[in-house]
Amino acid sequence: MVVRNGDPTRFSLASYRPDALLLLFWLIGSLLVGFILLPLIGLGMTQTGASLAHVARMAEVRQAIGLSVEASLITVAIAALVGVPLAYGLAYTLWPGKGIVGVIIDLPIVVPHTVSGIALLIVFGREGILGAPVGAILGLKFWGTLAGIVAAMLFVSAPYAVNAARIGFEAIDPRLQKVARTLGLGPWRTFFEITLPLARREIVIGLTLTFARSISEFGAVVIIAYYPMTAPVEIYNLFLRFGLNDAAGASVLLLIVALTLFVLFRWLAYDTGSRARGGR
Amino acid sequence: MTDSAIAVEGLSLTLGAFALRDVSLEVAAGEILVLLGPNGAGKSVIVETIAGFHRPRTGRIVISGRDATRLPPERRSVGLVFQNFSLFPHLSVVQNVAIGVRRDTKPTHDDMAVPLGNVPALLHYFSIAHLADRKPRDLSAGERQRASLARAFATRPDLLLFDEPFSALDAVTREQLRPDLGRIVRDAGIPTIFVTHDPIDARVLADRIAVINQGMVIQQGAAAEIFERPRDAFVAAFVGVENMLTGHVEGGSGDYARVVVADRIIHSRRSPDDWNGRRVVVCIRAENVKLHLGEPGSTNQTAGSNRLPGRIATVTNLGPLTKVIVDCGFALAAYVMSGEIRAGGFVPDAAVEAAIDAGAVHLALEA
Repeated sequence: MVVRNGDPTRFSLASYRPDALLLLFWLIGSLLVGFILLPLIGLGMTQTGASLAHVARMAEVRQAIGLSVEASLITVAIAALVGVPLAYGLAYTLWPGKGIVGVIIDLPIVVPHTVSGIALLIVFGREGILGAPVGAILGLKFWGTLAGIVAAMLFVSAPYAVNAARIGFEAIDPRLQKVARTLGLGPWRTFFEITLPLARREIVIGLTLTFARSISEFGAVVIIAYYPMTAPVEIYNLFLRFGLNDAAGASVLLLIVALTLFVLFRWLAYDTGSRARGGR
Repeated sequence: MTDSAIAVEGLSLTLGAFALRDVSLEVAAGEILVLLGPNGAGKSVIVETIAGFHRPRTGRIVISGRDATRLPPERRSVGLVFQNFSLFPHLSVVQNVAIGVRRDTKPTHDDMAVPLGNVPALLHYFSIAHLADRKPRDLSAGERQRASLARAFATRPDLLLFDEPFSALDAVTREQLRPDLGRIVRDAGIPTIFVTHDPIDARVLADRIAVINQGMVIQQGAAAEIFERPRDAFVAAFVGVENMLTGHVEGGSGDYARVVVADRIIHSRRSPDDWNGRRVVVCIRAENVKLHLGEPGSTNQTAGSNRLPGRIATVTNLGPLTKVIVDCGFALAAYVMSGEIRAGGFVPDAAVEAAIDAGAVHLALEA
């Protein structure tokens, strides 16, 4: 996930004389690159400026994409506020049981997303053990609401935020934090002035993945909230009602929005934080 | 206890399988105490406990007359310098140096050798003012060392702790940095504890040395005493005594003791009276062994000096010095100036007499 072009000597062997093995592996590997790229290019080719404009004028498409972006950003914010402290705890606690917590955090990755949706609905539904009290006290309902969409997105995407931030924290030389403490910085200042800036890159990468996972989520979201429709649900809806063409148009629009935001996040991560930790 | 700036008294703690046992140390103002010991001996744990990162089970840590045993690290007023100097990579040099300076820190007077607590003056003192806006990754090893010292001095610490600051550096850089470090620390007059596994660090920097092994202080004393009079075979080996011969004490006369080593009598410094008959390790530094070519002139040796006939076993050129191993019933290492070797005669199997002043023969306990 985190690509580092660390040691140039690692490459010298291969780049010295590209051998048959390396060429063959590239040949095989390029199949996968093509497999990923071709459908996306094919999708883009189906659209003209006019057809995109036509889809963009459809209020339900615009609303769906807007809702997807809104819900994804709220999810990223919650993942940051809750996931970063958890990652810190996992990185800095010497506790035998923390392996179990790590496994729990990874569960949403292996659970099929429709299953996640059903499970969430059971707990967060009107009669659910969380849904009922939260609904009664806060008036917050999850079934068919923004809150439900965010819950579904958070469930499937939070592992990415936690794991990346944890990697970031664990990569920090603990001696830096010790030096900071002896210099008179208490635990809070050490966290905000040393630890957090040094893990910034991994945290932003994790939140980028959280965002990407959230905005593309269909399975869990569609079960807890068919209405209001997020973009992936709307695209599925268009596909069923009007066929491939309209669905393709909305897909391209969603792709453009998602990729733009994705690139923006990536740029944020690599910009100033890129060489911050640097090692020696 | 009150006259030492830093006192560690009876420190014990357990960290997993590792334990510190009854560690007591003292450092006076302006003094450098070197903690010397092999990797895994517990030196770093001692330093980190003094800095406040481990809670001791028993014992007390007194810094400048103040009991710091229960204080968090940020309130102990210690400066810590690690291997690679641990500069904050995301901060510039000036940000690194200034990060610990509190607004109410009073800079010291102009007559102080090192301008403690004054960031611009510290940058100037350490010749890194022109690097103020650089990031640590753009500094050389020497510049990093100076920046980390400036940062440590900026908070006006009562105690400086160095944990193997040279261990990741190459030998040449290390040799350049060592004298600088000693001079600056002494100029600042701050008591210092310096952790290393390298006896040369101890030779160059230490006023006093505490030899650490398996979480215990094996021997503590003035630097010369540790090198000249190691308490036991472990300390002797660690401070680089080349000749360690097993023998037993057989009486003595006046200022000297008699030790039997492989049927030969060696006169040594006086040992405690109750060592009579005891097995000991005879420590002779190779530089104190003088070799004379040819058969011995007179076999009778006086109590003040040892004369041991033997034959040369091996000759190894080490540059300016040549190491000669002599077989005189046991192997004895000596150094000869390489220039003398070139004059001829020092060849394997040649007859030599090894002369060793009894005052240079030290008796240590078996490990």
